[in-house]
Amino acid sequence: MSASTYTNVLGLAAAAVLLCAVVTLWRRSLGAIVRTLAVQGAALACVATVIGLHEHDVGLIVVGLLVLGAKAVVVPLLIGRVVRHDPNSRETDPLVNVPASLVAAGALTFLAFAATRSVTSLVPTTAGRLIPIGLAAMLVGFFALVTRRKAVSQIVGILLVDNGVALVAFLATAGVPLLVELGASLDVLLAVIVLRVLAIQMRSRLGSFDLDQLTELHD
Amino acid sequence: MSTISHVIGTGISSAVQVAVVAVGGPVLVGVMRKVRCRLEGRVGPPVLQPLVDIRKLFRKQRFRPDQATWIFTLAPVMLVATVVVAAAITPLVTTHPALRASSDLFVLVYLLLVGSTLLALAGLDAGTAFGGMGSSRAVTIGALAEPALLVTILALSTTAHSSNLPAIVSAILAHPESVATPQRLFALGALLIVIVAESGRLPVDNPATHLELTMVHEAMILEYAGPDLALVTVGEAMRLTLLLGIFVNLVAPWGVATSTSVSGVVVGLASVVAKVAVVGVFLAVFEVFIAKVRLFRVPELLAGAFVLALLGVVSGLVAK
Amino acid sequence: MTAGVLVVAGALLGLGGAIAGALLPKGWRVRAATALIWAACGCEAAAAIHVLAIDRPIVLRSTELLPFTGVTLVLNSLGAFFVLLVVMVAVPATLYGIGYASHGLDTRTAACVFPLFVTTLLLVPTAGSVATFMALWELMALTSLLLVLVDHSASEASRSAGTWYAVLTHVGAATILVAFLILAAHSGGQTFAAIAVHARHLASGVRALVFMLALVGFGSKAGAVPFHVWLPKAHPEAPSPVSALMSGAMVALGVYGIVLVGDDLLGGGPVWWWLVVLVLGGASALFGSLHAASSTDLKRLLAYSTTDNIGLVLLAVGAAGLYDATRHPLLAALSLVSALVLLFNHAAFKGALFLSAGSVQVATGSRDLDRLGGLLRRMPQTGALFLVAAAAISALPPLNGFIGEWLLFQSLLHGAVIGSTAADIAIPLAVAALALTAGLTVVAFVKAVGIGFLGRPRSESADEATEVPRTMRLAVGLLVAVCVVLGVAPTLIFPAVERAVKTALPGLGTRILAHGVDLQVVGLRGMLAPAALAGSLAGAVVGIMVLRRALSRQPTPRVVEAWGCGRQLQTARMQYTATSFAEPVQRVFDDVLRPVQDLDVTHVAESRYVIESVTFANTVDDAIERSLYTPVIRAVRRWGQVARRLQPGSVHRYLAYGLGALVILLVAVAVMG
Repeated sequence: MSASTYTNVLGLAAAAVLLCAVVTLWRRSLGAIVRTLAVQGAALACVATVIGLHEHDVGLIVVGLLVLGAKAVVVPLLIGRVVRHDPNSRETDPLVNVPASLVAAGALTFLAFAATRSVTSLVPTTAGRLIPIGLAAMLVGFFALVTRRKAVSQIVGILLVDNGVALVAFLATAGVPLLVELGASLDVLLAVIVLRVLAIQMRSRLGSFDLDQLTELHD
Repeated sequence: MSTISHVIGTGISSAVQVAVVAVGGPVLVGVMRKVRCRLEGRVGPPVLQPLVDIRKLFRKQRFRPDQATWIFTLAPVMLVATVVVAAAITPLVTTHPALRASSDLFVLVYLLLVGSTLLALAGLDAGTAFGGMGSSRAVTIGALAEPALLVTILALSTTAHSSNLPAIVSAILAHPESVATPQRLFALGALLIVIVAESGRLPVDNPATHLELTMVHEAMILEYAGPDLALVTVGEAMRLTLLLGIFVNLVAPWGVATSTSVSGVVVGLASVVAKVAVVGVFLAVFEVFIAKVRLFRVPELLAGAFVLALLGVVSGLVAK
Repeated sequence: MTAGVLVVAGALLGLGGAIAGALLPKGWRVRAATALIWAACGCEAAAAIHVLAIDRPIVLRSTELLPFTGVTLVLNSLGAFFVLLVVMVAVPATLYGIGYASHGLDTRTAACVFPLFVTTLLLVPTAGSVATFMALWELMALTSLLLVLVDHSASEASRSAGTWYAVLTHVGAATILVAFLILAAHSGGQTFAAIAVHARHLASGVRALVFMLALVGFGSKAGAVPFHVWLPKAHPEAPSPVSALMSGAMVALGVYGIVLVGDDLLGGGPVWWWLVVLVLGGASALFGSLHAASSTDLKRLLAYSTTDNIGLVLLAVGAAGLYDATRHPLLAALSLVSALVLLFNHAAFKGALFLSAGSVQVATGSRDLDRLGGLLRRMPQTGALFLVAAAAISALPPLNGFIGEWLLFQSLLHGAVIGSTAADIAIPLAVAALALTAGLTVVAFVKAVGIGFLGRPRSESADEATEVPRTMRLAVGLLVAVCVVLGVAPTLIFPAVERAVKTALPGLGTRILAHGVDLQVVGLRGMLAPAALAGSLAGAVVGIMVLRRALSRQPTPRVVEAWGCGRQLQTARMQYTATSFAEPVQRVFDDVLRPVQDLDVTHVAESRYVIESVTFANTVDDAIERSLYTPVIRAVRRWGQVARRLQPGSVHRYLAYGLGALVILLVAVAVMG
C-alpha cells in the first residue's frame, strides 16, 4: 500500500466514522439511526484493519475483524430488534432541534480540532494527525446522548462515544492491545444487552421508549 | 498574433459552453422526466419535449398583469442573462473560457443570485397571494443555503489557494491523488445538497406540483406566460445544467480541455455532456424514491449541508 | 501650508453655515447653510485629496483655541479617507435637506445644528490630540442627539430614542475618554503622535485595557452588538438626511476610532484582541441581518442592516488584526482594504436607502411596510433608485456591495491556510457568518422593495403617493451613481484606500492590489474583472431582450388581471405583507428572535362557529435589549429610588451635606498630608 493511498483510505475511514456520528443527529427514524451505527462500526473496523495492514500488525487486523463482527453486526442487530418491536418509533422531538444539533456538531468538531492541536503535534504519524476526528466523533456522540429522548437513541449515543474512544485509541497508539480491546468490546456488548432489557421493560411499563417519562427516577 | 488567436479561441469555447448549456438544459430536464416516468411505469413525454414546449411558448403573445412593473418584464431576461454569463465564464468544456479572471466560485454564486433575486421580486410584482408566498419561501431557502455554499467554496479552495474555478480544476488535474480526500468528499456532498436546493428539485421543491401549500418556485412564476415563461423555463433548466456541470468538473475534471484547441474542446464537450447526463439520471432515479420534505424541514437539510462543509474544512485542517 | 488653510477654512465655513442657519430668516436659512456646507465639504475634500496625493500628513497646532491643551489637527491618509467618505454622504444629504426642509429641518435650531453636525463629522478624522478628538466627538454626539429630537419633538418614540441614544453615547464617550487618558498619562503627552510613540512599550495589561475600553466606546458608536440598542431607535426617528449621515458616516467614524486606537496608536495587539473583534463583528452581522429580515418598519430595517454591515466591517478589521498579529502583513493589508471598501460602499448605499426611505415617508406619511406597496408605479424614479441601492447592499454584481464582499471573502479565503489555530477556527466561522448575513440581507431587501414598492398599495396614502421634488431625487441619484461606478470600476478608490491602509499598518512596502481595470490581489491568487463582467451582463440582457422580441409573433404584451384562483376581484389585502414575508425566516430563527405573537379571535354571540373578527399581532423585540439592558435599567431605577431619600427638600439638610463633605475632605487632607 503506497503512502498516499494509506493516507487517503485512513482519512476517509476516519471521516466516515465522524460522518456517521453526525448523521445520527440528522435522522429521525430510529431504524435509520441504528443502520448508521452499523456503518460507523464498519468504518471503525476499516480504520483498525488499514492501520494493521500498514504496520504489518496481525493483532490489529484481528481486532479490526472482531470490531467488524461486534460493532457492525451483532450490536446493531441487538438494538435493531428493540426498534423492530415498535416500527414507527421516531426521534420526533429531540431536546435540541435538528438544525441546531447539526450546527452544534460543527462547533464541537472545531472544538475537538482546537483542543487536540498540541497533542497532534506530539504524534506526527499519519494516523496521529486524525485524532481530532476521533475526539469529534466522541463529542458528537455525547451530544446525542444529552439531547435525544428515546432509549434507543441513548444506547446509540453511548455506542457513538465508545466508537469515538476506540477511534482515538487506534489512531493514537496504532492499536490498543488485543486483550484490552476485547475486554472493552465485551463490556459494551454486556451494556447493550442490559440496556436492551431495560428498554423493553420500559416499553412494557410505560408504553414508550421516551426517557423523559422517567422523571420520577429520584423517588 | 497568438494572443489574438487565444482570444478568439476562448470566445469560441465560451460560445460552445453557452450553447451546450442552453440546448442541453431543456434536454437534461427531458431526460430526467423520462427516467422518472419509466421507473414509475409510465411512458412519459419524449426527451425533446421541453425544447418543443419552449419553442411554442416563445411564439405566443406576451402577457403582463395589470399591477406589474418593468421588474416583471426584466426578471426572466436577467435570469437567463446571468446564467448565460455564468456559463460563458465557467470551465465546463475548457479551463480557458473567456473572462477567465472572473471565473471565481464566489462570483458565480452571486451572479446566479442576481437572477433569483429578481425573480423573487417579480413574484411580488403582480400583487397576488401566490407570488408573495413563493418569493418568501424561495429567498428563505436561498438565505439558508448560503452558509453551506460559501463554506463549501472555502473547503474546495484551500488546496488551490484560490476560489478561481479554472485554478481549482487545474489543481485537481495536476494532483489526481488528492481527488478523494475527506475534505473534498465532504465539501462535494454539501455542494450537491445545495445544488438540489438552489435548483428547486426534490426533496426541497417539486417542479411538477401546482399545489398551493407545497409549491415554492412555481408559485413565484405563476403569472408568467408565453415568451416570458419560456425564458423562465429555459433559465431554470440552464441553471440546473450549469450547476451540475460545475459539480461534475469539481468531482472528476478529466476530459476538460486545458487549451482551446478544436480537438480539446470537442473532447471536453463530449465528456462534460456525458458526466452531466450521468449525474442527471442519478438524480432522477434518486427523486423517484424520495418525497418532498415539509418546508420547515428544509432548514435541517441545509444545516446538514453546512455541517458537511464545516467537516470538510476541518478535515482539510487536520490533513495539513 | 495651503492645505492646512483648506482644513481651517472648511471648519470656518461649516461654522458659518451654522451661524447662517441660526440667524437668517426662514426662506433663506436652509439654502444658505447648505451652500456654506458644500463649500466646507469642498475645502475638506481638497485637503484630503492633497494629503492622499502627497501621502504626508498636514499638522496644525493652535494653543489659543482651547485652554491648557490647545487644538491639534493632523490630517493623515487614514483620516483623509474618512473625510472623503463623510463628504461623499454629506453633499447628497444636505442637497436632499433642501427639499426635505419643511419636514422639520427648517426650524432655527435644526438649521443651526445640522451644519454643525456635518462640520464635526468632517473634523473628527482630522483630530490630532486627545482633547481635540474628545471635544469634536462630544460635539458630534450632541448635535446628532439634538437632530434626533428635532423632527417630532412631541412623539413618545423619538423621546425614548433620544434618551437611549444620550445614555449610550455618553457611556461610550466615557469609556473612550478613560482609554485615552490612560494612554496620555503613560505617554506624557496628549497628541496622538506622542501617544503612538509610547503606547507600544506599555505593559500588555494596560494596552489590553485601553483597547477593550476603546472597543466598547467606539463599538457603541458604530452600532456593534451588544451596544447597538440605540441605533434601531434613534436612526429611524431622526429626519432622513440626518439618518443617512448617522448611518452612512457617523458609524464609520466608530470604526475609524477602533482602527485608530488598535492599529495606529497601539500598533496592533495579540491575537485574542482581534478574536474579540471578530466575535463582535460576527454577532453584529448575524443579529443585525436577522432583525433586518424580520422588521416591518422601513427605516428600522435599514438601521438594523447598518448593524449588520458594521458587523461585516468588524469581521474584516478583526481579520486584519489577526493576520497582523500572526505576521501576515499582506493579508492584514488586504483585510483592512476590504474593511475600508465595505465602509465606503456602505456609506453610499445606506445613504441612498435612508434618503429614499425619507422620500417614501414624505410621499405617503408612513414608513410601515404593511401600509405601503405599489410605489414603483407612483414614484418611478425614487423606486428605481431604491431598487438599485437595495441590489447594491444585497451584494449583487455588478454593484459596489459585491466588490466589498468579494474582497472580504478573498482575505478570509487566503487566511484559512496560514496555519495558526486561531485563524483556522475563526476564519471558517467568519465565512459562515458572512454567508448567512448575505443571504438574510437579500431576504430583508427583497422584502423592502417587493412589499414597499411592488404589488398593490396597502393604504390610501400609498395609493395617492406622488414623486418627490427633483432635488431629493437628484441627491439619491448621486449616491446610487457612486454605487454603480464603484461596482464597475472599483479601482478608482483603491489608490486612496491603499494609502489609508498603509498609514494604519506601517511597514508594508509593496502594493496590495494591482490597479487597472481588473482587480488582482498582489501575491495571492485572486482576480476579478468587474468592468468586463458588467459589460458582458449588459450585453447578454440586451441580446436576450432582442431575441424575445424577435421570436414572439405579438411582441407587445397584453395587460391582463392577475390570476386569483378564479376570483374576479383581487384586493391589496390578499397580498403577502411584510410580516408574512418574513414569517419563514422568523420561524427558522425562532430561538434568536423570540417573536411575541398574539392571536385574538372574537366569536359572534350566537354561535362560536362564526367568527366576528380576528386580530393577529406579531412583534419582534430586540432580545439583547430585553435580556441585557432591561435588568440594568431596573437596577438603576431601584438605586435611584434609594438615592431620592437623600433629598428631603430641606435647605438645612442640603447645607449639612455641604459641610459634611468639606469636613471629610479636610480630614482626608489632614490624614494624608
